[in-house]
Amino acid sequence: MGLVDKGRLPAPLTKLFNISRSYSLWVYQWGLACCAIEMGAAFGSPRYDVMRLGVIPLPASPRQADFVCVSGTVTDKMAPAVKRLWEQMPEPKYAISMGSCANCGGPYWDSYSVTKGVDQIIPIDVYVPGCPPRPEALLEGVVLLQQRIKNEDMAAKWRGDEFTTLQRSRAVAAGEVDRDGELISETHSISEDPTPDEARTVPVYPPEPIVVGGGPIE
Amino acid sequence: MTLTDRQQLSYIASQAADARLNVELETEGMTLNIGPQHPATHGTLRIICRLDGEQVVWAEPVAGYMHRGYEKLTEVRTFPQVTTLVNRIDWLGSFANEVPFILAAEKLMEIEAPPRAQVIRTILFELSRIANVSLFLGDLGVQMGAITPVFLAFRDREYILNLIEGATGGRFHPNFDRIGGLKDDLPKGWIAETRGAVKKLEEFCDTIDDLLFGNEIFQSRMRGIGIIPADIAKDYGLSGPNARASGIDWDLRRDQDLPLSYDLADWKVWTHPDGDSWARCWIRLQETRESCKIVNQLLDQIPAGPVMTKVPRIIKVPEGEAWVATENPLGEMGYYVVSKGGLGPFRVKIRSASFNNISIVPWALKGVYVPDVITILASLYFILGDIDR
Amino acid sequence: MAPLSDATTDETQDDAPAALPGDGVREGIIDNLRSHIGDQIVDTKITPNDDLWIRVTTDGWLAAGQALKEAGFTYFCFLSAIDWMPSPYGTGENDPDAEQKEPDTAIVPGYTGGDTRLQVFARVTDLNRHVGVTLKADVPDDRAVMESWSHLFAGANWHERECHEMFGIGFDNHPDLRNMYLPGDFEGYPLRKDFPLLARMVKPWPGIVDVEPMPAQDEEEAPPAEETS
Repeated sequence: MGLVDKGRLPAPLTKLFNISRSYSLWVYQWGLACCAIEMGAAFGSPRYDVMRLGVIPLPASPRQADFVCVSGTVTDKMAPAVKRLWEQMPEPKYAISMGSCANCGGPYWDSYSVTKGVDQIIPIDVYVPGCPPRPEALLEGVVLLQQRIKNEDMAAKWRGDEFTTLQRSRAVAAGEVDRDGELISETHSISEDPTPDEARTVPVYPPEPIVVGGGPIE
Repeated sequence: MTLTDRQQLSYIASQAADARLNVELETEGMTLNIGPQHPATHGTLRIICRLDGEQVVWAEPVAGYMHRGYEKLTEVRTFPQVTTLVNRIDWLGSFANEVPFILAAEKLMEIEAPPRAQVIRTILFELSRIANVSLFLGDLGVQMGAITPVFLAFRDREYILNLIEGATGGRFHPNFDRIGGLKDDLPKGWIAETRGAVKKLEEFCDTIDDLLFGNEIFQSRMRGIGIIPADIAKDYGLSGPNARASGIDWDLRRDQDLPLSYDLADWKVWTHPDGDSWARCWIRLQETRESCKIVNQLLDQIPAGPVMTKVPRIIKVPEGEAWVATENPLGEMGYYVVSKGGLGPFRVKIRSASFNNISIVPWALKGVYVPDVITILASLYFILGDIDR
Repeated sequence: MAPLSDATTDETQDDAPAALPGDGVREGIIDNLRSHIGDQIVDTKITPNDDLWIRVTTDGWLAAGQALKEAGFTYFCFLSAIDWMPSPYGTGENDPDAEQKEPDTAIVPGYTGGDTRLQVFARVTDLNRHVGVTLKADVPDDRAVMESWSHLFAGANWHERECHEMFGIGFDNHPDLRNMYLPGDFEGYPLRKDFPLLARMVKPWPGIVDVEPMPAQDEEEAPPAEETS
């Protein structure tokens, strides 16, 4: 649709598309290690059913998936396969990194064969810490991803821009912030602490990946 | 209806053409790459098969996609830290991984956990075995294309995970064993709840017995496939249900004298003479039922007392070497701990069951048809963390 | 029967020099092995009723395995190696800001001794008698090659591959000695003690900082007791 990437989609229609996209996600389960079992419990067991959120955990191939949930330790030997998987997925695509091993190497932070975090290979939208995270934590990660998608600027995403939240791209469009995130206006300087009201209009660079639980990325 | 001459001629010509084609057509072997990510492999195992038509001529597993360097990491960690790490080798039955390591450290320190701790350790060990093998039974269906058992398995496994979480705080990866005993005592009401959960698991075993093992398709896909004779099994070091399915009467719970309380319960070791895939799966089903029986009996016999002997706050294990192996859900898992009197071990050799179990795959898959490759791997049952450590 | 070498037997006391601690099964195993490969046994150690270690010469490694297999030890448990050199990078347990003591660089081998830095060790089990033996052998420092057990025990194939990639020990007559776990272009032998863990050098572990100092009198602490249910 040429309207989308030219940015001429009217806002209510963008909102409608975003809502419907976020409630019909197909997730590719890239389960590598112990977190795969918790992912299986979250996605496949009747107790922590993920289908009630609109997420279908059953695509047989990455080419049919909307987002990938990388769960478990990524080793250096496995890393090219993860990269290839990510390249096979069609846009728009998202990624959730589940568990400490995928976030940052986890308990194997000092190993000679472990990639210290899958975000060294693919860009991640939501980090779910834990070892392993409870299935409810993963479901919260999925909910946060859905919120992110709802607030997304489809045009920016379609174009492949880095900043895809609506707030960000509106600030860019309004000329307050340039593409690199630097404030253009002379009256705002970065050293001044923004008041709570200002904070809402001054976008955060880059869009912070969401961490379930709100803490620092473990 | 008789064919006209013309039809007859064209028929003969087409047959001749086909015959010529068959003679001239050469089929080349095809190399099929199963994995590293495939729903049928329990994780990132890659199997390279060279096929001749539908038969496997040569197969080779490529491991290492989950190699995290455990043995190097244990050299720079203290004993309690190693206990935490070691949980994640066999990640379905995690408590079972800690036990041989702790027993080896206790052997070097020449202490023994108090009786209450030993019984609770045994109960948790058997619960982790039930949790592990119940997922195996569910997964067995998925390998064949039957999807229902895995939902039942996840549902019923939740009861066991609830119990383990109630006692230890972690659904799996409990990190509950300590040198000298256990971290904590059991919470109130745990014993009654365990009895209820074990009963549900026994019903699950009966359901799987009906659904899967009684199913004609399952039986025809599993009986007579992947036969491993006993001497080959011993040569490769196959252990656990894989060995017992080949008729080897070897169970480390019964044949060793470890400070675990298996002698307090009345249970039996299951063996099967056939050595095929069916036997391996069937033995695991029976062992799950047997574990339920052991847990029930041990729950009646938990003695009162402390759960931890007196050990110093910061533990330094004296110099020495010790080997302890236990009958883990996957097979024989052992730790060879070399200590030099420090806070952590000097070298730990982790003998994991699946490494030996999968080393037989090149031998076992020769001449086998492609669908049987999946069933043989399913019946051998490995966990990637156990192969790759 | 007099002790076979200067290996010490553990814990239990011998009243008379001729009395055996334990049930004598393991002494019998050593005698049997000695009758096959006599002078190649260097040292032994028995913990009574518990375990048995035998060290053989480098040349006797395969012969010892064969003799044990014929004696009934048909179950192959594992095969690996130990690097006895203390790690030059320390064990990472201590506070990196505190004063560093001089690290100890002496190569001190463990049970049954040893003369070289690397030793291979293997374990085989007799399933009928429920006894296991840990066999050890020195790996020569100048040429780290041993004979392969893979024609003797088929399971040794993978174990020797892993040993080769982790320690750099070669195995003669091994059919297919390539990397088991590591990618093909990996440099170095990880389980050798002089292979550093780079993440630890960049950001050292702060040591055990979360344990309270020991109470002045009592070293030990009795934990809270029962909660019967």
